[in-house]
Amino acid sequence: MIRIRDLIHDFLLRDDEGNVNGTVRAIDDVSLDVAPGQFIAILGHNGSGKSTLAKHLNALLFPTEGEVWVDGMDTRQEDKLWEIRRRAGMVFQNPDNQIIGQIVEEDVGFGPENMGLPTEKIWKRVDEGLDAVDMQKHRLKSPNRLSGGQKQRVSIAGVIAMHPHCIILDEPTAMLDPSGRREVLAAAHRLHDEEGITIILITHYMEEVIGADHIFVMDRGKVAMQGTPREIFAQVEQLQALGLTVPQVTLLGHMLREQGLELPEAVLTADELAEKLGAIYEHSH
Amino acid sequence: MFNSITLGQYYQTDSVLHRLDPRIKVVATFLYLVSLFVANSVAGYLVSALFLAAMIALSNVPVRYILRGMKTIALLLVITMLFNLFLTPGDVLFQLGPLKASKEGLILACKMGVRLSMLILGSSLMTLTTTPTRLTDAMETLMRPLRRFRVPVHEIAMMMSIALRFIPILMEETDKIMKAQIARGADFEDRNIMKRIRSMVPLLVPLFISAFRRANDLALAMEARCYRGGDGRTKMKPLKYEGRDHAAYAVLFGYLALCIALRFVKGMLPGFLGI
Repeated sequence: MIRIRDLIHDFLLRDDEGNVNGTVRAIDDVSLDVAPGQFIAILGHNGSGKSTLAKHLNALLFPTEGEVWVDGMDTRQEDKLWEIRRRAGMVFQNPDNQIIGQIVEEDVGFGPENMGLPTEKIWKRVDEGLDAVDMQKHRLKSPNRLSGGQKQRVSIAGVIAMHPHCIILDEPTAMLDPSGRREVLAAAHRLHDEEGITIILITHYMEEVIGADHIFVMDRGKVAMQGTPREIFAQVEQLQALGLTVPQVTLLGHMLREQGLELPEAVLTADELAEKLGAIYEHSH
Repeated sequence: MFNSITLGQYYQTDSVLHRLDPRIKVVATFLYLVSLFVANSVAGYLVSALFLAAMIALSNVPVRYILRGMKTIALLLVITMLFNLFLTPGDVLFQLGPLKASKEGLILACKMGVRLSMLILGSSLMTLTTTPTRLTDAMETLMRPLRRFRVPVHEIAMMMSIALRFIPILMEETDKIMKAQIARGADFEDRNIMKRIRSMVPLLVPLFISAFRRANDLALAMEARCYRGGDGRTKMKPLKYEGRDHAAYAVLFGYLALCIALRFVKGMLPGFLGI
């Protein structure tokens, strides 16, 4: 699905006259693979290069060095540009700055319109998109009247309407309240589980990546750690050193384990911790 | 404080006016403007006012919602009327220092006031009953002949629709920044106009920066969704005239004909109707 080889991205710094006077390396020699149907999470604190990486997957940025392949297409091939953007749909952080339509359904239709589909097909795609995120009943509303979570779901619907193979969510929950965050994550998981769409979730909230198949942790433009959630969450000290906030449950489990309790290396949920502690209690009596 | 601007804000409800083809609404608004200048008599204005009232009744939009749009242009309206009142030569009615108000000026001022108000109400009605997307669709179609003269019609339409979408967002943002500055002691209510203008700087700078950031984000989001200009783009809601649109055109031209007729018989109208 996605293949990145030795990717390097430099941003040019310009002085007041527009002359280049330096570069910043946002991505430094990253290689990674995403198989079709996977739920991938990319974790990293601000400035770790994760959003830059996301823009490479949608051909909004092009490699300084190295290569990015999406569904067997090199992002530098100009004639494949639009096909890549269709197949790898992108949802951005700020819900207000990515909704173009004045009415929900018109916004969902924006992508299919750009693809040049005939009118009846556009309507079908819009219906599919709205159904996929359960926004059918809000289809005639103005986006300004929706909550943040609903706006992000509209953005997801707009991407679904283009029939992507993969959806890249670039910090989709960063500007939402807790209930909005849950809505958006539930929508992403549902698309992955039911429609088999590859999901790449970029975030700095560790709680959000628990359900992922595979996690990449980025730091200063490099992939610092990778593995399953359990493998990643077991390395509490390293995560904290990378500036990530480890979920409280995991932290508590980690501290108890350090005190000598027989807990697994990584505890992901409160239920799991309760169950394990219950078992230890039973055992000791 | 910015809730008062209804221009460019769609009011969601269902009505005949909402369902009409946007092209006829654009044409009608334009012809209504023409009719206001054609109808140069009290009788003509009565007809125009009745026509407008009928349209407002048909629109299902609450009247106070429509009238709210007037507040923002009230000042402009008063200034225009004062200019007309004092700068038209004729029989002097009364004098304020060097300014002479004339009878002709008073009539002209009233006419101008009525014209402007009805014009604003009429165009507000158009934007209240038409989504900006459909409005720009209409503009795009109506201006299509200009493409031959290399006018970037699609791009203009797109720019308009984006501007319209972001007006409420930027308004909200202005409100937010204003409150933040007031909380830090900024004074936007100062009597001194120079001080007031100066106090706008800390409001406008962050607003512009944020507007540019939004523009950048939006451009990226549009490109990510395969937007590449008007070529090869299809429409989700292509414009198609239906029966009711033809009927609406008939009503519109009937009204216009009446206005033109009234102009010709102006001198023959009884009493004040002919003023």
